[in-house]
Amino acid sequence: MSIELLVQALLNGFGLAMVYVLVALGLTLIFSILEIINFAHGEFYMLGGYVTYYAYALFGLNYFATLALAILTVGIAGVVAERLIFHDLRGKALNAFIVSLGLLWVMQAGAQLAFGVLDKPVPSAFSGVVRLVGLVISVERLVVSLSAIVLIVALYLFLRLSRPGRAMRAVAQDPDAAALQGVNIDAVSALGFGVGCALAGGAGGLLAPVFAVSPAMGALPVVKAFIIIIVGGMGSLPGAVLGGLLLGGVEGLGALFMGSAAVSILGFAMVIVVLLVRPRGLVGGA
Amino acid sequence: MEPRQWEAATPAVGIALITLAVGALPLVTRDSYYLDVATTILMNLTLTMSFRLQVSTGQINMAHISFMGIGAYTSALLVTRVGLSFWATLWIGALVAALLAVPIGSVALRVSGPYYFLITFAFSEVVRLFFNNFFEGLFGGPSGLVGIPKPGRLFGLIFDGKLALYWLMAVIGVVVVVALVRLDYSRFGLTADAIRQADLVVETLGVNVFRFKLTTFVLGSFVAGLAGVFFVHYRQVLHSSDFGLEPMVLLVVFTVIGGTGSVWGPVVGTILMTIASELLRELHHYEILVFGAVLILTMLFAPEGLVALPAAARRVLRKLRARATEPAGVGLAP
Amino acid sequence: MRIRASIATIAMVALVAAAGTRTPSAAEDKTLTIGVLGPLSGGAASYGVELVRGAEMKADEINKAGGLKVGGDVYKIKLVSYDHKALAADAATAANKLVFQDKVKYIIGNAVGATCNAVQTVTEPEKVLFSFVCWGTSNLGPDKPYSFRAMLSQWEVAEPFYRWVKEKHPHVKRVAVISPNDTSGKDTNTAVVKALKGLGFEVVADEYYERGTKDFYPILTKLLASKPDMLDVAAAPAGEGGLILKQARELGFKGAKGWTAGTNPFTIIGVAGKEAAEGVWSPTNINVKSDFVSATVRRFGEEYEKRYKEVPGVIAVANYAAFDVITKAMQDARSLETDKVLTALTQKPFDTVWGKLVLGGKDTYGIDRQFLYPMVISEIRDGKVVDIAQVLPSALKK
Repeated sequence: MSIELLVQALLNGFGLAMVYVLVALGLTLIFSILEIINFAHGEFYMLGGYVTYYAYALFGLNYFATLALAILTVGIAGVVAERLIFHDLRGKALNAFIVSLGLLWVMQAGAQLAFGVLDKPVPSAFSGVVRLVGLVISVERLVVSLSAIVLIVALYLFLRLSRPGRAMRAVAQDPDAAALQGVNIDAVSALGFGVGCALAGGAGGLLAPVFAVSPAMGALPVVKAFIIIIVGGMGSLPGAVLGGLLLGGVEGLGALFMGSAAVSILGFAMVIVVLLVRPRGLVGGA
Repeated sequence: MEPRQWEAATPAVGIALITLAVGALPLVTRDSYYLDVATTILMNLTLTMSFRLQVSTGQINMAHISFMGIGAYTSALLVTRVGLSFWATLWIGALVAALLAVPIGSVALRVSGPYYFLITFAFSEVVRLFFNNFFEGLFGGPSGLVGIPKPGRLFGLIFDGKLALYWLMAVIGVVVVVALVRLDYSRFGLTADAIRQADLVVETLGVNVFRFKLTTFVLGSFVAGLAGVFFVHYRQVLHSSDFGLEPMVLLVVFTVIGGTGSVWGPVVGTILMTIASELLRELHHYEILVFGAVLILTMLFAPEGLVALPAAARRVLRKLRARATEPAGVGLAP
Repeated sequence: MRIRASIATIAMVALVAAAGTRTPSAAEDKTLTIGVLGPLSGGAASYGVELVRGAEMKADEINKAGGLKVGGDVYKIKLVSYDHKALAADAATAANKLVFQDKVKYIIGNAVGATCNAVQTVTEPEKVLFSFVCWGTSNLGPDKPYSFRAMLSQWEVAEPFYRWVKEKHPHVKRVAVISPNDTSGKDTNTAVVKALKGLGFEVVADEYYERGTKDFYPILTKLLASKPDMLDVAAAPAGEGGLILKQARELGFKGAKGWTAGTNPFTIIGVAGKEAAEGVWSPTNINVKSDFVSATVRRFGEEYEKRYKEVPGVIAVANYAAFDVITKAMQDARSLETDKVLTALTQKPFDTVWGKLVLGGKDTYGIDRQFLYPMVISEIRDGKVVDIAQVLPSALKK
């Protein structure tokens, strides 16, 4: 087993990790602000993918404009979902679980009926590969990863510097105190849910050309997102990034040495170990 | 949590009604399909009631269905490879599930709340992947096991037909319901409820919370194992999809929609939701869409579960009646 | 509390009683109810949906022509389809409903290995004819005389396919095989590896991936390190197969490509891209737009696309053909009794969209219940599927 192979394996794992981190960040944002876990999160990812399919593959809009459109559309869908369904479920984890499950089925079945059941390809905006000292990475994946990083940084700045961002952080930390300080909890919840879904939609849009789109495409990313936020720590942005890199590395290297089922078990084993040794996650403190 | 004083008098009535319904069904129909649905309801009932037992202490055990799988594989292998009788493996399978529940539960219970939910979810996936991919010679790999025999004779009774199997599951089901209802109405149930609400306080009152929770975990897993053994000899086919995320999620749905606050919640939830989902089959490829919508609407309009609806309805009626009889100037004339 | 339990009990009894008084539609004269099962939701939905569509197309065709004439009667065909969500237990319940409630004697169409076994526990004892596209070896056998496979499986296809590869492309010596980690994947790899070894190829990789995987870089890095001459995406469905090919190309793979269990070539070309899909050989694809298929097939393809807005894959065609064959057998037998139809099915070849079709497979399964028809090896050239060779099963060679 050459060093080259090992490094390529690591690179493979890291390659798209940042996009899964985006999905994870959306999930953890919603969790921090509304104290619920949205199991339909993967369906918003899928929605972003289909917006990209229609706008970019069929309609011919510019790739980055499409990405912006996907983020915006899914964000609005998130706000609508929160206003209609989730806002009364603040803190009621079990009920939210059932409701989001229902939403998952509605969205997935709806997508199948509306968009058809076959995989729909989305042409790559960027083709070709980059070869460096025997390592390979496709240009497409490079652009996708960089775009994801840009979005993560944008999110960080938004949460740190903007008024709505700071209001969200306040609600995440202590909703009662935030309310006393005049923060409109309802508005922040809706916005938070919207931003969380927008992140998933953006991820879906980024990966649409890489993986094609299908109604059930949201299932796997959401499992990865869970693993990432547990390992990194719920409610922590740097934790999610770290969790993403860790999961990516483990999966990339793991594939070299063991079968796919064993690699999946490895991911879950990581979750169990972290929950036992450091339940707040590696960076968590929320 | 709803106050339960007025419930205290009549668990017996509830049990009697259930037993009556279960016993009366074959008088109403002998149709194979209805018997199959009824048997499925009874199987699911034992699973949801034992799941709810753990929920009553605040544990959402997403690995519950894995113990059903453990019971199933144990019995299937013992019967097909070692030649044991179903009547022995029924208990052995449940015991193996309970035994494995001890270490798994001990580990899982070191965390609580959403972390417990997540760690049990991780465990359930590990168990499923294990049965699906390892020791293929034993567990059948992704193809699963086929040709598992139905239960053998017992005291000369044959258990080949749908009706006989229905009766078997009915007996198991009613026994489980009785046991768990009585447990819930006893001191055990009060302790469980107290733990769910404030386990630190209960700890100071001298209860070993960890041991209590572990007991419910193991007990619940034992019942799940029982259900698993029946399941595998009823269906005669075993595949890891039978105890993966999808069936587990349905168990949670049945329990929560019924209402986790009461031991009767799973009864109402399982029966109504299983019937509803069978009726929805008629919608063919719209089935899942409508089912999802039903979930959303039910949870929004009955957040405490269906079992709490009559009480909620009564409260609304009381309010309306009170307003109607308000004196002077405001509101309606009597 | 009394009220709650009463509500539950009364509801259950009432619903059951009410539903029981429903008139089963198949009891009416002159309607033939046929069942279709499959995963109609979730990740495997494309299989189930194609099965239903294939059946619908043929049923509508027959009904439009005035109905199915069997013996002296004319029947209108009614299709009943249920979604089993790829869960074995659900499939058993759905089968129970079809057989005991809807009173069907024919279930034409099912996919996903374990569900076939589950359905068979219901259909075999009731002598219900069950035709499916499941690829598990245990799905056919002398103990299951009423079960059929309507599509060539890896056991029929792998050996002749690789025999052709060996003959026409002798430079291919090292083969890597990859399939999803489920029943059909396992059986396909087993069959392919057996064929490869029997023919003297070197199997450099026999890999599995979890269904739903999209990122194959990790597994491909390992696989390609063993320097295969040919990459067979075996039982991968079109979307995942396309991704494997696309990513293999990105990682530098330039060798031969195969798709032993191909289903929908248009999807794989779309997902993989023209360059990555270039040169893919498949013994099971059907290209409904090719110049080599009969006019019937092309018409089927056009109508299907008009009606469903998607191009049909081999599963839709297979179920369309199965429906065709079974209804023709009913007419030959002049009866709807499954035993008589069974005899009629095994007696002679049929003319179908595939060409001549006959039941065979006794050597492999112990009983003749596998649909055998000309296997067409195709190659993808410049984004189009080109048929290049036809292999007749020995049963049709006489």
